Amino acid sequence: MNHELIHELIQDEASGHYSRRQILQHAAALGLSAPAIATLFAGTIPVQALAQDSDNPLGVDPAAPLDVVIFKGGFGDEYAIYVNEKMYNTLYPDAQITYAGIQRLGEQLQPRFVAGTPPDVIDNSGAGNLDNAALVAEGQLADLADLLAAPSYDTEGKTFAETLVPGSQESGIFDGTQYLLNWALTAFGIWYSSSFMEAKGYEYPQTWDEMLALCEEIKGSGVAPWVTTGVHPQYVRQFVFDQMLWKHDPEAIRKIENLEADAWKAPAVAEVLEALYQLADRGYLLEGWEGLDHIQSQNEWLQGKTVFIPVGTWLENEMKESIPPDFNMVIAPTPSLPGDKIPFQGIFAGGGEPFIVPAQGKNVQGGKEWLRLLFSKEGGRFFAESTKSLSTVISSGEGLDLGSAFASTQEAIAAAGENTYVTRYQDWYTEFGDEVKEQLAELLQKRISIEEFQDTVQEAADFLKDDPSIPKYTAG
Amino acid sequence: MHYQKYRLIIPFLMPAILLYGVFVVWPYAQAIYISLTSWRGVSGNKPFVGLDNYQRLWLDERFHEALTRNGQLLVVLPLATIAIALTFAALFTQGSQQIRGAGFYRIVFFFPQIIPAVIVGILWSYIYTPNIGLLNGILRTIGLGDISTSWLTDPKTVLWAIAAVAIWSSIGFYMVIFLASMQSIPTSFYEAAILDGATRWTSFKDITFPLIWETIRTSVIYLAIAALDFFILIVVISGGSTTTTARRAEVAAIYLYNQAFDSSRWGYASAIGVVLLILTLFLSLGIMRATRRETYEF
Repeated sequence: MNHELIHELIQDEASGHYSRRQILQHAAALGLSAPAIATLFAGTIPVQALAQDSDNPLGVDPAAPLDVVIFKGGFGDEYAIYVNEKMYNTLYPDAQITYAGIQRLGEQLQPRFVAGTPPDVIDNSGAGNLDNAALVAEGQLADLADLLAAPSYDTEGKTFAETLVPGSQESGIFDGTQYLLNWALTAFGIWYSSSFMEAKGYEYPQTWDEMLALCEEIKGSGVAPWVTTGVHPQYVRQFVFDQMLWKHDPEAIRKIENLEADAWKAPAVAEVLEALYQLADRGYLLEGWEGLDHIQSQNEWLQGKTVFIPVGTWLENEMKESIPPDFNMVIAPTPSLPGDKIPFQGIFAGGGEPFIVPAQGKNVQGGKEWLRLLFSKEGGRFFAESTKSLSTVISSGEGLDLGSAFASTQEAIAAAGENTYVTRYQDWYTEFGDEVKEQLAELLQKRISIEEFQDTVQEAADFLKDDPSIPKYTAG
Repeated sequence: MHYQKYRLIIPFLMPAILLYGVFVVWPYAQAIYISLTSWRGVSGNKPFVGLDNYQRLWLDERFHEALTRNGQLLVVLPLATIAIALTFAALFTQGSQQIRGAGFYRIVFFFPQIIPAVIVGILWSYIYTPNIGLLNGILRTIGLGDISTSWLTDPKTVLWAIAAVAIWSSIGFYMVIFLASMQSIPTSFYEAAILDGATRWTSFKDITFPLIWETIRTSVIYLAIAALDFFILIVVISGGSTTTTARRAEVAAIYLYNQAFDSSRWGYASAIGVVLLILTLFLSLGIMRATRRETYEF
């Protein structure tokens, strides 16, 4: 069957320019079966007639309504509305799209999940979002395997999965099944103002010893070298501690993520903690950092009261109202420790902004199709232009000049090559993740020693391991 | 023959009982059932686990720590609030022993009560911010910069900083209650006492205090329940239930919220709720019994 001709035929019929007899003759000439011809005139196109059509590889019912819920946060939701109006409705004009761009998705969508009437596709992000691990455990999410195998929307000859940045979808896999798709390509690292550094003649240090020396110099000039948010210590935990430990010894991180016995007592862990502790011990952290939340600490950084801050790629978008002119923010990986197994350029990069398709949605295939449209070159490009952020679609930001943060993120990820990773244990075991970040805050506030940190966290890890009510995952 | 009376009473009573039954009693019953399951909150699946959650609670150290904080609040909150509110009420009334400007103070000290709890929380979270916050700023200006700290993340101060806000915002309410109660004491009592050489303090101790004991007793129970219930101020001042502040000021209700909304363990959270319910009931009963006294007729 020649699919292009059939498609043309359908469009001819819809346009109303041809008489029925002409259409019928045309259809017969193409060898269409009688039922198929009948439905041509009924106006609805059955899945079977188009099941093999490259335009509808997931077999979406074009007249079925679609329910889309997006977290309207740092990235806004223009990119989603674009997909609704310019992409999905162009392909399926009869589909009625119910759209909501909201915050605190957990509170609003939970009753729908419990009642069995969830939406068809959800951007499950932001504070107060739904618990992905719980959703997976309760079988509430659709398996996205068919979406991954489907052809890409606008990249010839590649499957959907092949158009996504390798490694960016790792955190969406639970026990070998892809349940989440990460939309935003995020790098996590140390941010600084390149214009400030140039003006002072500083260079970003590639080793930790150089970093400490530079900090001493900066401190001498009356500026605090580092700041991080004490109210949300997961920033320093994941972007600095986890990253440094991964570069120092990826085996050590793997053991920690797999809750192996004495994983936290490993010498590699102690070495990283020693290094990190120097920031607190030598007074390189901005005074009062313990009480600052993420916005406040980022503001102090923007105002030039401090030089380095560990954060992720959303930084520019989040603070766009407050960025002084000529600031030029740039990301860099954590400096290397002696004996690191992964080179300096290795950086934490992965996907954020997870999208899910509920298994009990009324239009599951429609939801997946919506994702196929979003995660395309077209969708990615619009996203890059409207939010100055990278999506996980390969080369979606190509050729766009959207500021220093964007450019340096792209460079950092390119320089890292294969050496990218993101730790996941805080997503799998939220309480344990909270305990680790708590203890790290205590350590950096010099209230506990490194040994006490290791003991307490190891105890928590062992307790978690023995708890049968929490499903366990393994890091490959 | 009282039957006719009931024909009037019952139709008036029914709507109230119905509303109460549907919106209060039935959710209680549901919550108790949920506490016997391991519901994750994202599906209709509620596997029954019997008293498992309660067993875990019994051994849960984090819960014990939270309850200890509640206990500390239980002692301090009623004591501080009532003491201050009583002082103000006494100063602003007590017949001719009122201080000057009492009318003005009565109104102004009630203001904090009018501000919604969420706004109070947000305001004070800014006051307590370490570098640019008002409190530390004032301390530094008057030369006490040494005691300035990060009030909301220092484990020694965080619970008390938040308790102070609670006390500040509720003094007005109790002051007004005590004022109203004190108004009903005839001024002749005070005049007679003054003639006998009573000071303001003796008037208070021997006349005012015993005669408004019932009101004080009710206030103690209210505040005791508030101490066990303590939640909204902590969440708003902490900026969320997963921040360092919330963790270091974790009381039972915060732990409940965290288990339900952050860890998706609704069965366990419900169990915490049921335990809190039982504790509150026993506490109220206990206080009512312990403070029972003969009332004075006057």
